[in-house]
Amino acid sequence: MRMLALFEKGERLRHIGHLDIMRAMQRALRRSSLPVSYSKGFNPHILLGFASAMPVGAVGKCELMEVELDSDVDAGEFEKRMNEALPEDLKVFSCRPLPPHGPALMAQVCAASWHLKILDDDLRRRVQESIPSFLEKDEIPAMKKTKSGEKEVNIRPMILHLEAEEDGTLDMTLQMEESQSCKPSMLLESLLRHNGIQDFSVRYALTRDHLLGRHHDTLCYLEDIA
Amino acid sequence: MDLYADRIDDRIEAMLEKVQKASRYTGGEMNTQVKPWDKARLHYGFCFPDTYEVGMSHLGMKILYGLVNAQEDSVCERFFMPWTDMKALMEEEQVPLFSMESRRPLCDFDMIGFTLQYEMSYTNILAMMDLGRVHLLSRDRERDEPIVVAGGPCAFNPEPLADFIDAFMLGDGEEVTLDVTRTIRDWKESGEPRMECMKALSQIPGVYVPSLYETDYHEDGTIREMRRLWDGAPEKVRKCVVTDLNTAYYPMEIPVPYTEIIHDRIMLEIMRGCTRGCRFCQAGLLYRPVRERSLDRLMELAVSLEKSTGYEDISLSSLSSGDYTCLAELIRDLLRRFKQEHVSISLPSLRIDSILKESLEETQKERKTSLTFAPEAGTQRLRDVINKGVTESDLIEKVTDAFQGGWSSVKLYFMIGLPTETCEDLDGMADLCQKVNRCYFTVPKDQRAKGLRITASASSFVPKPFTPFQWVPQDTQEMLREKQQYLKEKMKTIKGVNFNYHESKTSYLEACFARGDRRLGRVLLRAYQKGCILDGWNELFRFDLWMEAFEEEGLDPAFYAFRARSRDEILPWDFIDAGVTKEFLWREYEKSQNAVVTPDCRKGCQGCGIHKWKGVCSYAHAGTV
Ligand code: SF4
Repeated sequence: MRMLALFEKGERLRHIGHLDIMRAMQRALRRSSLPVSYSKGFNPHILLGFASAMPVGAVGKCELMEVELDSDVDAGEFEKRMNEALPEDLKVFSCRPLPPHGPALMAQVCAASWHLKILDDDLRRRVQESIPSFLEKDEIPAMKKTKSGEKEVNIRPMILHLEAEEDGTLDMTLQMEESQSCKPSMLLESLLRHNGIQDFSVRYALTRDHLLGRHHDTLCYLEDIA
Repeated sequence: MDLYADRIDDRIEAMLEKVQKASRYTGGEMNTQVKPWDKARLHYGFCFPDTYEVGMSHLGMKILYGLVNAQEDSVCERFFMPWTDMKALMEEEQVPLFSMESRRPLCDFDMIGFTLQYEMSYTNILAMMDLGRVHLLSRDRERDEPIVVAGGPCAFNPEPLADFIDAFMLGDGEEVTLDVTRTIRDWKESGEPRMECMKALSQIPGVYVPSLYETDYHEDGTIREMRRLWDGAPEKVRKCVVTDLNTAYYPMEIPVPYTEIIHDRIMLEIMRGCTRGCRFCQAGLLYRPVRERSLDRLMELAVSLEKSTGYEDISLSSLSSGDYTCLAELIRDLLRRFKQEHVSISLPSLRIDSILKESLEETQKERKTSLTFAPEAGTQRLRDVINKGVTESDLIEKVTDAFQGGWSSVKLYFMIGLPTETCEDLDGMADLCQKVNRCYFTVPKDQRAKGLRITASASSFVPKPFTPFQWVPQDTQEMLREKQQYLKEKMKTIKGVNFNYHESKTSYLEACFARGDRRLGRVLLRAYQKGCILDGWNELFRFDLWMEAFEEEGLDPAFYAFRARSRDEILPWDFIDAGVTKEFLWREYEKSQNAVVTPDCRKGCQGCGIHKWKGVCSYAHAGTV
């Protein structure tokens, strides 16, 4: 069976990269003694997939992974066993079986919602105030890192939602599909540039709140439609 | 957490955003815990004087970390040497060296313990104390500062660190560590002055407190006398020996790092000590006698460690695992037990004999990594001098086996600068590589793996205390460099051989500190003040600054590295009873000069001295000496 697990990547693990988190999950699965399936072949590995790689530096509130199991396990049992095997800052908080032949989670992700808080108070206010004029633009150029270097892209259509909360924390939903994908850091740089700031070494706290998928053209939480 | 902690936490977070490899400093790994601080009566800061990746690969650290935390009244937290970028930020932001667990500063701990694995880590000890706001010199430390202890193989010549370390623990740490923690805990609660703690520590067998001794020198720089400053201090300090490894503490859980480290696996120490008697090998003599863990105990440990870590690799560790009595059985049992879990067992590479071949092929098919052999010297004569019991035919046989078994990559370890070495011995190394190359081509093409790779590494010999070569001079820099060049040219002509050698400057400094005396503490301090840190990392090693430090302190490094000692010279470590006697070592030295070998003492006790401790060595039978 395929099990869907929602997990949280805590504050302390912000700087741990995606591959390291993946390895930690694999080891936790091994510790859990759950009947996890292994790939065939010379170098058997656990069949585990993440919906999306986590950027280094971000906290994850609701990340998704899928695990292949050799025999059926009750979702509550899965959650319990995993949490016994996981370190404190990495916890599963919900599980359910996935339809056996559905597409991989990774293929279903369309967007993600984020919270980004610039730590410097003045700068945060300034950026907050500039949002209306920022969103009025039809074209927002940003630099996207690619394999062969950097290229300029227009991220305006990828900003599905952008709003500042009362304290200036940015609440945003950014598209995340293969061809059309905008990272929070790209948006932040554009915002800073919009404010005439060229130094991008701004300190901020970043949280990914949700991964989103599409259901009949509406964006929904990925865990609800997968 | 208190306010102070919050503030520090925020500053640490800010630094982590800027450094490379922040995962070295984040903590929170599986099987680590933040034990309640206030409930503990003793807080132990375990310091590994190198980077996280190196320190976390070290088995001894994991044992002691588990041991101290297993005590209800104690907290043990880890510290590592920060990389240069992090160190610079910490200094700039005035954030003290903080522990991996609760992020508390080093100076908050009741005691801190350094593990001394190699001489080139000594400046890191100073750097860590400095960053952690602990006075560098023992004599400057206040009543409420941590007691600084150290252990590990380099503690067998503690003198170069005598100014900085309050107490050294010699030998096996499993028992003495607890004696030391309890003594410090009681002293801390007693309110007595620091000196009382020093005296109390010196009463524990295996503990050396340098401030209770003083050394005088002859005009030529050699030692005249080492004197006790307090009558109660022992004249000789005898190393600790854990007699039964089966009852000795071993952790059932070990921390599992997020980031990849050097040895990222379960290490099962199957035995301790070695009876082979290689004359250059300090570990082989320091860890005598040989003690084995039983099959049952090893299986029990393997099962619980696999369960608690989720590691997919188990490696069997010891100085010469091939000598473990029931090796084949152990491996078979492990393979059988962990078949379902897809655990792979890394083997001591020297024992690819026929019993194991089959089971090996079954599980190791995916990892044909390179096999390692250590002939150490190029000719039989020189191998006899160093008592390395490997013959050329042995080696060729094993290498052929390996090539037939599907390996195509072989590593050969050599040493240059061994006592009595001549040109012929260097030629012998090249010869051996040539023969290994030929072995490969004798295996029919369709039966061997593609891409022959022979890596020949030559390290420079460093004479060490408590070995038969403790009296001999090291080769000078010029000699070593000449030999390296000579070999480089020779090896070039052999197909498939990749030759590399170690920086001889590092070995030079290592030689100074390995056999140094107390006065070297001044050089160490000065070198550190000039900016020497992380000397084990080639890119950071500043030989020039070290030489300046020697010069400014009026000490000659050649005196320590290149000088032959006479038999009656008082050596800086003579006050330590490491089990093996000076007489035995001298006898071995004389035999080496005549290229006479000493057989493995399991086949007959050679009277190394350990036998005088009743019941400690299971191979020493009365009358065989
Ligand atoms: S006492 Fe004898 S058998 Fe034991 S280690 Fe020493 S030489 Fe070997």
